[in-house]
Amino acid sequence: MIVSVILIPFITGILVPVIPFRKRWQKEVFLETAVVLNSILVWFLLLHHSDSTFLLAHFTGNLNISFRVDGMSMVFAGLVSALWPFATLYAFEYMTKEEHENVFFLFYTLTYGVTLGIALAANLLTMYFFYELLTLVTVPLVMHTLTREAVLASRKYLYYSLGGAAFAFLGLIMVIVYGSTTDFILGGVLDPAKTAGKTNVLLLIYVMAFLGFGVKAAVCPFNAWLPQAGVAPTPVTALLHAVAVVKSGAFAIIRLTYYSFGTDFLKGTWAQYAVMSVVMFTIVYGCSRAVKETHLKRRLAYSTISNLSYILFGAVIMTPLGLVGALTHLVFHAVMKISSFFCAGAVMHQTGRHYVHELNGLGYKMPRVLGIFTISALALMGVPGLAGFVSKWNLAGAAAESGNPLAFGGIACLLVSALLTAIYMLTIVVRAFFPGKDFDYRTVSDIRDPNWKMLLPLFVFSIFIILFGVYSQPVVDFFMSVATGVV
Amino acid sequence: MYLILLSILFPAAAGLFLLIRGRTPLSGEKGNTDRKTLLALTGCFLVITASLVFASLLTVKEGFTLFFLTKTLPIYFRIDGVGRLFSLLAVIVLPCAGFFSFAYMKHEERESRYYGFYLLVFGVLNGLCFAGNLITFYLFFELLTLSSMPLVLHSGSKEAVMAGLKYLFYSLCGAYAALFGIYFLYQNCDSLTFTTDGALRASAITQQGGFLLLTAFVMLLGFGVKAGMFPMHAWLPAAHPVAPAPASAVLSAVIVKAGVLAIIRVLAMFGKDFLRGTWVQSGWIILTLVTVFMGSLLAYREPVLKKRLAYSTVSQISYILFGLAVMDETSFTGALFHVLAHGFVKAALFLCAGAIIYKTGKTRVEEMRGIGKEMPLTMWCFTIASLGLIGIPPTGGFVSKWYLALGSLESGLPVFGVLGPVILLLSALLTAGYLLPLTIHGFFPGADYDYGSLQKKEPCKLMTVPVFILTFLSVLIGLFPNLVDGIIVMAAARR
Amino acid sequence: MNFICNIPFFSILLSLFSGTVCSVLSAKAAKIVNRVVILAVGLMSAILLLYLLSTGESFIYWMGHFPAPWGNEIRAGVLEAGMALFFCIIMYLSMAGGAHKLPGEVVESKHNLYYILVNLLLSSLLALVYTNDMFTAYVFVEINTISACGLIMIRQVGRTIEAAVRYMIMSLLGSGLLLFGLCIMYDLTGHLLMSNIKESVGLIVANGEYQIPLIVSVALMCTGLCIKSALFPFHAWLPDAYGYSTVSSAAILSSLVSKGYIFLLIKIIYRVIGFSVFNSTRMIDVLFVFGLMGMIFGSLSAIKENDVRRMIAFSSVAQIGYIYMGFGMGTQAGMVASIFHILSHAATKSLLFIAAIGLTDVSGGSRRFADLTGSAYRNKWAGVAFTAGSLSMVGVPLFSGFISKLLFAQAAVQVEGKMLASLIVLGISTVLNAVYFMKTVIRIYTATTETPYEGITFRHMKAYAVTLVFFILLNVILGVSSQPVVDMIGQGLAMFA
Repeated sequence: MIVSVILIPFITGILVPVIPFRKRWQKEVFLETAVVLNSILVWFLLLHHSDSTFLLAHFTGNLNISFRVDGMSMVFAGLVSALWPFATLYAFEYMTKEEHENVFFLFYTLTYGVTLGIALAANLLTMYFFYELLTLVTVPLVMHTLTREAVLASRKYLYYSLGGAAFAFLGLIMVIVYGSTTDFILGGVLDPAKTAGKTNVLLLIYVMAFLGFGVKAAVCPFNAWLPQAGVAPTPVTALLHAVAVVKSGAFAIIRLTYYSFGTDFLKGTWAQYAVMSVVMFTIVYGCSRAVKETHLKRRLAYSTISNLSYILFGAVIMTPLGLVGALTHLVFHAVMKISSFFCAGAVMHQTGRHYVHELNGLGYKMPRVLGIFTISALALMGVPGLAGFVSKWNLAGAAAESGNPLAFGGIACLLVSALLTAIYMLTIVVRAFFPGKDFDYRTVSDIRDPNWKMLLPLFVFSIFIILFGVYSQPVVDFFMSVATGVV
Repeated sequence: MYLILLSILFPAAAGLFLLIRGRTPLSGEKGNTDRKTLLALTGCFLVITASLVFASLLTVKEGFTLFFLTKTLPIYFRIDGVGRLFSLLAVIVLPCAGFFSFAYMKHEERESRYYGFYLLVFGVLNGLCFAGNLITFYLFFELLTLSSMPLVLHSGSKEAVMAGLKYLFYSLCGAYAALFGIYFLYQNCDSLTFTTDGALRASAITQQGGFLLLTAFVMLLGFGVKAGMFPMHAWLPAAHPVAPAPASAVLSAVIVKAGVLAIIRVLAMFGKDFLRGTWVQSGWIILTLVTVFMGSLLAYREPVLKKRLAYSTVSQISYILFGLAVMDETSFTGALFHVLAHGFVKAALFLCAGAIIYKTGKTRVEEMRGIGKEMPLTMWCFTIASLGLIGIPPTGGFVSKWYLALGSLESGLPVFGVLGPVILLLSALLTAGYLLPLTIHGFFPGADYDYGSLQKKEPCKLMTVPVFILTFLSVLIGLFPNLVDGIIVMAAARR
Repeated sequence: MNFICNIPFFSILLSLFSGTVCSVLSAKAAKIVNRVVILAVGLMSAILLLYLLSTGESFIYWMGHFPAPWGNEIRAGVLEAGMALFFCIIMYLSMAGGAHKLPGEVVESKHNLYYILVNLLLSSLLALVYTNDMFTAYVFVEINTISACGLIMIRQVGRTIEAAVRYMIMSLLGSGLLLFGLCIMYDLTGHLLMSNIKESVGLIVANGEYQIPLIVSVALMCTGLCIKSALFPFHAWLPDAYGYSTVSSAAILSSLVSKGYIFLLIKIIYRVIGFSVFNSTRMIDVLFVFGLMGMIFGSLSAIKENDVRRMIAFSSVAQIGYIYMGFGMGTQAGMVASIFHILSHAATKSLLFIAAIGLTDVSGGSRRFADLTGSAYRNKWAGVAFTAGSLSMVGVPLFSGFISKLLFAQAAVQVEGKMLASLIVLGISTVLNAVYFMKTVIRIYTATTETPYEGITFRHMKAYAVTLVFFILLNVILGVSSQPVVDMIGQGLAMFA
């Protein structure tokens, strides 16, 4: 069962180029059905999970490839499987204007399975395995257009990701050697008897592994790949580079911090301060770059960089509340960012405009798309009543509660970043809706909102943004139970 | 409870309705008939909202929780004394300026957008005044910024857009600084519901006192942005002049006061006893005094009328803040009184300026020689309102400044107790210096003025009546301070 | 004594004689003989391996039944048999993968010469693996050198001759040093058989005499073999030799010849000097440092390279660095990791060489990256194989490279002083590997429209494609079910002692 949800996307993906579809709609129906079915299966699995570990294979020594559903997996798998059907629906429409669809959908669907693999992995090795795999199956997606730009971007993506994994690997080794097991256990698995006297080395390796996994989560010195990877088709940038791939990085870091090294071991050490400073810097850095960037998707990519570090900031507070904050932002940011990316994609798809300064006056011609964009912008800023506020509240609350002086500074970073977010998001909104006195409306006369396949996901996401904003309690309660190990 | 909700949601919904309805730019014949229905609708909405607010002010006593944002964050509404006072100001100024706009906005485009946001602002302001805890307040504070920004950049000129963005970013910056404090208040208070005498846990004060002081200061600075306090006042003179005159009136008279309201709330949350005598208080007083003096000085040097009024707002709001910073009952009363007095006066002044611009197109002070001959009614109102701002006895401004100075002297603060009133006086002199020349040159243009070309340019009733009402009110509260006192005493003592 | 115990001797002789026989056969027959011999030896080694695993102990085979210290001995343990089997597999696959290129690379008349050399090489490798006698080892080292030179030179292009001369000089220097070391050792102990030397060395160490000559001897032997196996500062001969020789030669040279020397070194360490004695010398630190440097500098050179085969060749320098790093750790775990890496690298590197040739073939024979653009679409099998090899090199799970990395890292953690250095270098080296291999992979998968080169389909390269599939399978098997192999290595090392 648990393996089947990983395998179904694999099989579906491979079947796409194999089955000779006569009409395009047949392919669409096939894919969408498969994806939706798989999502339903995932949710069923999550809701009826048992605590047992499913052992797929012995790898080497005492290392296994095995899967298990625990609280964290429920969060991430649930998130991914909820978003994927919508993103696929959106991709159908978007990809009408791109070439080699089959290859695209092959890897797009494969990625679904791999991401679920990361989410459901029961131990560090399995997660690492799928983590590497994720890099590989997403490269063709980045390369999709095969322009020089795309090739350079995917090259960079590969270097960064594989390089990062190399250092994350060191963390894996440490856990293998110094831990009692590699399984994920909340509170960490390091064996105090083995680690005695080696604390500093372990901390150093932790920092390196953090940065290694942090590559996918676009932590500061290693963030350059993400904006460049924006050359990929928008469904990819939206789902993978705002949710699946980058959040896998964040997810991996949470696993590493809370479930492998353990917060008791790390809390209050120099390693915590080191990673926290990196994260805080990234929060501000990402935003500032976003403000400077004029390419719409790249701007959103920089925004993602900063927001990912929000999640990591929550994670490195290393308290249950911090984890709650991180998880809240993990989920809520996914909804907000995918929504804004889809809006950007819709604009590009309908108008072919890519730069912020070309968006003048579009608000009158695409009111639905840009209206939803505005909602997501406000949510990202953290306006109360929308999802972003709740997650920031949880993050900042956790930081304030932790009593860690650096975390107080982190709150300040969050707020500076919120301001910068306002700057880079609202300038777009203002341009779209208030193009200025001498704006010539003829330039936008033949532009209109996209069709329902694009709009439906947008509407659903915006509803969720608002819903999470005003009524987040059950979700946050669930995160709380995850963070305290109840689930 | 439904009254409160209605008075928030109705104008907001009405505003959204107007926004959605009038998407295309108005033009031609059809535009004219459209305009009439638009105005009628807006008028109705304004009146209904105002009556709703009055009704809730009079009848609602109990607070209620609407829903929980997160487990521990209720969206909670309650009408208390301070809220009532500010709501009163809003509910008078907004319809007045609204009706004024009916005439004024004739020469601007895209009216439905303007009215849409105007009504939105109205609803948000009501929410702000009725908010019963810090989170609800913060919610509406952010929304206020967002919904009032389109009013600033309404004209769509490059300058206006830049000013609008500046306003937005300054305000958000302030709001986030305040949010920083809210996070820590939340950690160190049992609840964020507004109180009168400090909500901090005693243990928190002993353990983290120093840090909490810093937090308080950051919050004061943050909310002070909206109130145009010194280091972050630059948005105000940029935003006010480019906005349409009635919008500037609302901004200056009411929206800026949201910052004041916020600071009153913060003060209450931290508790005066906690802040009194600390570096936070002295730092804050210094900032307000600097702002008072600097604002007046800049206004004195400013040739453009609306900009001059904007600087004047900077200075006057800090009168209020000074009154709060002294943390004395009397000065607190003075501050609250000044909220009303300045609100009415400044709205009247801006509307006058708007009328002048509308009729003559003149924006600079030196162009306005003989304006009193052209528009006597308007200029009379302008003069009376100016006197109110300077603080000449029969007007409200006198009463408030009296209380402010008295409170400051009573407070027994080492230096500022005396220095404060001195600076207030100096600033009053400067106020006279920058406002009265208009009256003087307006009515007495001098021997070389060409009476031949003089023609009556008195604006229509839609413009003059709101100005009258506001001027009248500013004098009324000066003549019968007890009318207001009831509310203020209630606000000062049992909020 | 069981008949199976004759297998080591038989296989050496079989390959030696078949080499001689080849000289009188036609090219085609020589090819068949060659293949059959490799297969036969492989089969025999497999049987031997099974036998050894079942008995669980090694045996010593007296040549001509002369007992020590007069006779010449052959020794077979699990490790030896496994190594022989593995070498045969790789060699067979390499020959099969490069066969279709041979007519173009080597003049027709020299084909049987080519097979002679290959057979000789095989015999010398087997001898290096099985021998229990230092002098025999030296003799076959020389045979190995000569046949390797021949293999490089047989493709008569200017560059290969230069490369062969260079290889010859460096190799002879290496053998010379080995011989020196051997002489000193003989002087010290009076023995040539490994087991006897070890006993005497134990005595010498216990008595505390002749410390310096002993160390000098060890150092000389190590250095000699290091030069021959192209450890970092002595790698200058390698890129040309591997880069310009025929495909099969390159694959065999890089994955087998240097590994043969390394295996000999392991044998010397365990069987001649003794593991603990060796560890007490400073040699391991030296090896460790040069290993680390090789890992970095080899990769750096590979990044700069603009010729795909030279790039792969430089990558070998880095990989050999890994192996020596494992030696340098001076622990059993490090040694296991190194030996596993010998296997994994052999499997991967030959795969890469063979796959690269498929790619260059469809790019007009050019090895420059610019021309390789999109070649994976023109030759899909080679593209997939190259990608698999690259991923293994980078250490992606499922492939053998990951396991060796895992073993190295686990071994490193147990060594107090060298842990951080090795872990960090391991990380950096992986990054560098990723850079040049992934660059190439992306390059070959970048479609171009204006390419002048024809593609090739499965029908025209059946043998080649099948070979590639086998290579990939081998790699994946090593990557997925590594535990038996690792156990076997452990068992074999235990038999050494």
